[in-house]
Amino acid sequence: MLRSLFRPLTDRRAERMLGATAVSVVLVIVAMIVFIAIEAWPSFQHNGLSWFGSGKDVDAELGAMVNAGADPSGDAYQLRAWPLLYATALTTVLAVGLGVFIAVLASIFIVELAPPRVRSIVVPVVRLLAAVPSVVYGLIGILVLVPFVNDHLINEGQRESVSYVITLNGPGLLVSVVLLTLMITPIMISIVVDALTAVPRGWREGALALGVTRWRAVMSVSVRAIRPAIVAAAVLASARALGEAIMLSMVSGSKGFSPQPWDGLIFLFEPLRPLAATIAEQSEGIAAPALKSSIYAMALVLLVSSLFLSIGGSLIKRRLRLGTAR
Amino acid sequence: MAEFPPPVRRISSEQAPNVVDPATRQEIPEPIARALAPSYGPERLRIDEVSIHYAGSARPAVNRVTLPVRQGEVLALIGPSGCGKTTLLRSLNRLVELTPGATRDGRILLDGDDIDQLEITRLRRRVSMIFQQPNPFPMSIFDNVAYAIREQAMRRPGKAVLQPRVEKALRRAGLWDEVADDLGRPALRLSGGQQQRLCIARALAVEPDVLLMDEPCSALDPISTGVVEELIHELRQNLAIVIVTHNLAQARRVGDHVAFMYLGDLVEYAPTEELFTNPRADRTRDYVQGAFG
Ligand SMILES: Nc1ncnc2c1ncn2[C@@H]1O[C@H](COP(=O)(O)OP(=O)(O)OP(=O)(O)O)[C@@H](O)[C@H]1O
Ligand SMILES: [Mg+2]
Repeated sequence: MLRSLFRPLTDRRAERMLGATAVSVVLVIVAMIVFIAIEAWPSFQHNGLSWFGSGKDVDAELGAMVNAGADPSGDAYQLRAWPLLYATALTTVLAVGLGVFIAVLASIFIVELAPPRVRSIVVPVVRLLAAVPSVVYGLIGILVLVPFVNDHLINEGQRESVSYVITLNGPGLLVSVVLLTLMITPIMISIVVDALTAVPRGWREGALALGVTRWRAVMSVSVRAIRPAIVAAAVLASARALGEAIMLSMVSGSKGFSPQPWDGLIFLFEPLRPLAATIAEQSEGIAAPALKSSIYAMALVLLVSSLFLSIGGSLIKRRLRLGTAR
Repeated sequence: MAEFPPPVRRISSEQAPNVVDPATRQEIPEPIARALAPSYGPERLRIDEVSIHYAGSARPAVNRVTLPVRQGEVLALIGPSGCGKTTLLRSLNRLVELTPGATRDGRILLDGDDIDQLEITRLRRRVSMIFQQPNPFPMSIFDNVAYAIREQAMRRPGKAVLQPRVEKALRRAGLWDEVADDLGRPALRLSGGQQQRLCIARALAVEPDVLLMDEPCSALDPISTGVVEELIHELRQNLAIVIVTHNLAQARRVGDHVAFMYLGDLVEYAPTEELFTNPRADRTRDYVQGAFG
């Protein structure tokens, strides 16, 4: 029986096996979504579209859900999740945007400019960084970045000016985005470096032979050619950023608050808390039905957004590849 | 017959451009020559005692080579593998500088100016290169041809400016009729021969003075090769062309002058028919008769 598994498969049997595997993977995903959706339903049912809106204090609402006990009234389900959604989008977009920028420039440096010896050291180090557990970044944040921001960047005037809503004491948007960027950039660098290395030499030489500067040759031909890989890297990084819970719960300030860009510099120091961190923190209170349903609702939103992210990513990649396709 | 190594014929830069009938190789008297629109134009490029060393190899890859390149003629470089043809060709637009450790001695003059004094981007626009493997960029046909024009422009030129120039370049490369219906098609979907002609169009779009071709037909089938050779014939009216080829029949078909190189030395430089029918050096005779290489 076992031995038959290792016998060479005929093509048709192999095809069937692969097909069955693919189908069961899809089935598991669908089942998961359905299960989460069912659990999430009461939360959406009681709030309607205003689930996604703002207006109330999310943290107070979540607290009320725990207090409502085992048999909550309809009111207990009330949730205006906007600050959490906004915090998720804000940290992800900023970190991924910054990360793509850094990753592309760093990769160009590594592939085009760095001497081979530097390259042979930097590339493995970057790959190693990509494997560092996020909790470690969180720890660095708490031990190093948060005190630094608190002691050197925030002044008393800024603390005073917002003290009636929030306390500025280090953790917040800046530290979150910096650490998130630090966390997702290595994997992007390593993807982009691989792609850049694989760009045929003939393309770059062809551009140089047309009288284009080295910098322009890289930007207009090599980087252009690897746009699908850049998109792939950004999608992967976004998925990691969206799902990052522990590290962000450590350094974000963990407050259901929406930092406002028009607050000026203070914006950077304002606390927030994305969806994933909220789920991780609130999961102890899951015995309360209202809270349980709310948490599942957040999970569903996260799941659907990462689904859309990867679908959107592959659509963009397909459009970009058209130019390259053989 | 001749001793080896034979004395390299040195061509003095002061010498007036030859006016020779390409068919008979007879010198044409001045007045008639002008009327006939001579196929040998003025000297555009002069390779003067050029040597090229690669780091880590004892002997130079190119050893004190002197050659003229004239407008209106095709100069074919032939020789066994590894004799330095590609190296010499790549030095003409300073592409050889991309190789770490490569150094060049001697001078190369473009219309009398030392190419080391020219800005490198300007030089490469005037002395363009076609590679052995067709290397169209992964963009549309239009974008490929417009590439160098766009890169050279200060402000992004509009489609109205680009369109006629792209069309002209594609026509000169003999590709227009095949691609005119859909210029937005990805260039990499073209056939190998079409891709190579697209690369030629891309180079022609910035109107170079000299076209360097490194075995441009070696990746192509016989029909595409014929088309490209036809094209080379026509282009040489307005351009000086240097072509490297392993295909002696091709050198004979497209070359007006042929230079035979061996282990970095220029062994013989002569009008094509002369070099093939009556070579002066034994090495050359052995090579063109297929004895080695
Ligand atoms: N990047 C390089 N580094 C070191 N040596 C090189 C390099 N490129 C070429 N050479 C050496 O220089 C010599 C000439 O090489 P080149 O490529 O110019 O020959 P070629 O005549 O074009 O040969 P082929 O007909 O095979 O293309 C060879 O001996 C080769 O080994
Ligand atoms: Mg070669």
